[in-house]
Amino acid sequence: MRCVRVWFKKMGMSRYVSHLDLMRAMTRALRRAKVPLWYTEGYNPHPYITFALPLSLGMESLCESMDMRIEGDSTNEEIFAMLKDNMPPGIEIIKVSDPVFDPKKITFGEFDIFFDCEGNSDKIVGLINGMLSQDELIVQKLGKKGRHKVLKDINLIEFIKDYSVSSFGERVKVSVILPAGSTTNVNPSLLADEIQKRADGIAYTLIRKQLLTEGMEQFA
Amino acid sequence: MISKEVEKILPLVQKPGRYTGGELNSVVKDKSKVDLRYAFCFPDSYEIGMSHLGIKILYSAANSRDDVWCERVFAPWTDMEKEMREKNIPLYALESGDPLTEFDLIGFTLQYELSYTNILNMLDLAGIPVRSKDRSSLTPIIVGGGPCACNPEPIADFFDLFMLGDGEEVSDELFDLIISCKKENVSKAEFLKRAAQIKGVYVPSLYEIEYNEDKTVKAVKATQTAPEKVTKRIISDLDTVHYPDKFIVPFIEVVHDRVVHEILRGCIRGCRFCQAGFLYRPIREKSADTINTQCKRLCETTGYDEISLSSLSTSDYTHLEELMEKLLSWTEDYKVNIALPSLRVDNFSEKLMGYLKRVRRSGLTFAPEAGTQRLRDAINKNVTEEELMNTARQAFSGGWTAVKLYFMLGLPTETYDDVAGIAELAQKVVNEFYRNPDKPKGKGVQVSISVSSFVPKPFTPFQWEAQDTMDELISKQNHLLSSVKTKKISVSYHKVNISFLEGVFARGDRQLSDVIEYAWRHGCKFDSWDDNFLFDVWLEAFEKCGVDPLFYSSRKREYEEILPWDHLDYGIRKEFLISESKKAYENETTPHCKIKCAGCGTNMLNGGKCDAMRKSMV
Repeated sequence: MRCVRVWFKKMGMSRYVSHLDLMRAMTRALRRAKVPLWYTEGYNPHPYITFALPLSLGMESLCESMDMRIEGDSTNEEIFAMLKDNMPPGIEIIKVSDPVFDPKKITFGEFDIFFDCEGNSDKIVGLINGMLSQDELIVQKLGKKGRHKVLKDINLIEFIKDYSVSSFGERVKVSVILPAGSTTNVNPSLLADEIQKRADGIAYTLIRKQLLTEGMEQFA
Repeated sequence: MISKEVEKILPLVQKPGRYTGGELNSVVKDKSKVDLRYAFCFPDSYEIGMSHLGIKILYSAANSRDDVWCERVFAPWTDMEKEMREKNIPLYALESGDPLTEFDLIGFTLQYELSYTNILNMLDLAGIPVRSKDRSSLTPIIVGGGPCACNPEPIADFFDLFMLGDGEEVSDELFDLIISCKKENVSKAEFLKRAAQIKGVYVPSLYEIEYNEDKTVKAVKATQTAPEKVTKRIISDLDTVHYPDKFIVPFIEVVHDRVVHEILRGCIRGCRFCQAGFLYRPIREKSADTINTQCKRLCETTGYDEISLSSLSTSDYTHLEELMEKLLSWTEDYKVNIALPSLRVDNFSEKLMGYLKRVRRSGLTFAPEAGTQRLRDAINKNVTEEELMNTARQAFSGGWTAVKLYFMLGLPTETYDDVAGIAELAQKVVNEFYRNPDKPKGKGVQVSISVSSFVPKPFTPFQWEAQDTMDELISKQNHLLSSVKTKKISVSYHKVNISFLEGVFARGDRQLSDVIEYAWRHGCKFDSWDDNFLFDVWLEAFEKCGVDPLFYSSRKREYEEILPWDHLDYGIRKEFLISESKKAYENETTPHCKIKCAGCGTNMLNGGKCDAMRKSMV
């Protein structure tokens, strides 16, 4: 029995697959692919599968990873070959590797937010740059207070590790690095929603590009 | 692919995965290369519709033709509907994202009466007039099928035609006719006239209904060469009929998320309250080999880890042991569980329980249906108390500690003693647990009673009966609750107003279409969902339309009365139903079909063949 890390993209309509549903969809894909899964030995045997960092519903990603335990001596390349044609639509296997980092090491995420500007690109770029160059950008974040969920004010600027704003044609792209992981997590939709609010409700899409460790190494 | 407009509203609604399409094994074709586009609609939510076996079979069968593209449509949940209406997005099919108006054929499956308002709502969301007479062009043609098509009269004005009985072959013939009528560019009227010539197709507009002064049916007249009686279709051989080799695998969790296999059609039992037991006759069994091969294939193409062997009475399947051996030879390696729903109390063998233990221990559910032997005899349930106790004993010694029992309230001839009998029977099951010397230590027993309200249905021996009124049902529910003396027995029951409405529409006629339209126009939809059920609006609808609902639900009919569905023929002889109805009042049972053929007549639909008779005849 050994642990392998499966890397995949989650694009298009599959972004509406929730974390729980993804778990089920992947388990079925593994069964279709006849991957030699290791099953738990309890009363109700099930495969052992975990995801590094759950992705919000509606967000696309280029850097999803799933750890699973397999039996036998299949190589990573063989597992890749089994998997690649058995994925549900919208999910594409990139590679299969030996895990390097513990998922707990994930500290930051790099995201792209694309805004549909319909001819207002310059104005929107100005607006976003204006927002991000202030000392404070207060938004409300759903947090926990004991058992209760409460809305907390947070200053987004304090959490933004790095950002850039660029425009091409009708679209404006904001690349941003935000805390991600089990200790501190700031969802980029907080920033995207705030921009949307100040720009007459323009539509946006979100994509997770890569996950980073505390030392800014790519999660592998 | 769904449109940009739809994509924009998806972030605003609950469970957007219901509206995206693109699931594994969904079928996408080039629309310019097909002759007929078919939108198969399930008038309820995605989670309910995707659990339904019929849609999987008919979707796959239709798409096996190169000239047809069949897509799926479900009722959008209320939050999605609101967004769609606000942004003027018409109802679309999941595979192409195209609005329903682009389809040639729109088919609704009629699984339960309380989905009728959803049908109107879906047509309206697609911008299609709800009444057949207001749709003048040839396409889209609106059709219906499924169990409620056995009395489609309350919704007859909304549909162009209905398909009665098994749908696999008749749909094919309908596709051919539509394709040729499109090429010839014939009128809708001409198409309907031709369609009525297909066996099993009922075109309601070709039948004139005359009413008596007391609003009962006086006469039904077939016009324009339509047949006097429309006979339902059946599939003769289940081994050769199309069965899917792939199921669509939903992303989101649906109610029944597993491989389902239909192992037989029909039921040998003849329980007098059960419509399905009569509608799906004659008995046709599938061979164990076919089922086994198809199940394995389905597990491989879907990745599902559970198979459910479905039928009206799974333990009556002649080759069940052979089938279980075959399945278990590979399912354990595949880590696949087998579920056996619809088991009976009287033939639940030790061997069968052994198989069940090898797969996975789930709850055990049995349906005695009535609390006393007298009433069980009257409804022809053919289950004795002793059999139930034997089964309970076996289950308890096999390690089970929870048993669920299904009952009905409001059955014909029921007294308050019969109601109290439900609690007494459950108590005896509890006692049986404590009598068992090897009962698991430190564990109690839980007996759950689930009671539904009886609704008289067409094509059953109880089709003439008066349904209990809501007050009577509530009083019986209370009597049952007060008869239960221990916390080891829990009781759950259905809302009576929902059963009442079901009772009205089950045996309704065309005078109800105005009521349905009124209720829908005033906000009724998803009526089978408690949160959405607007009973007051329904009562208002009856009043405004001048219809007395009790005329349909709680009126005892004479055997001589012309019933609204008498011109539809499901192969069951009326004399047989009358004799069964009379026997109910004598508390007299009828042996099941394998012991002795009761002469229901449905074997004549299959050239005299019935798989229940096969053994005894040879």
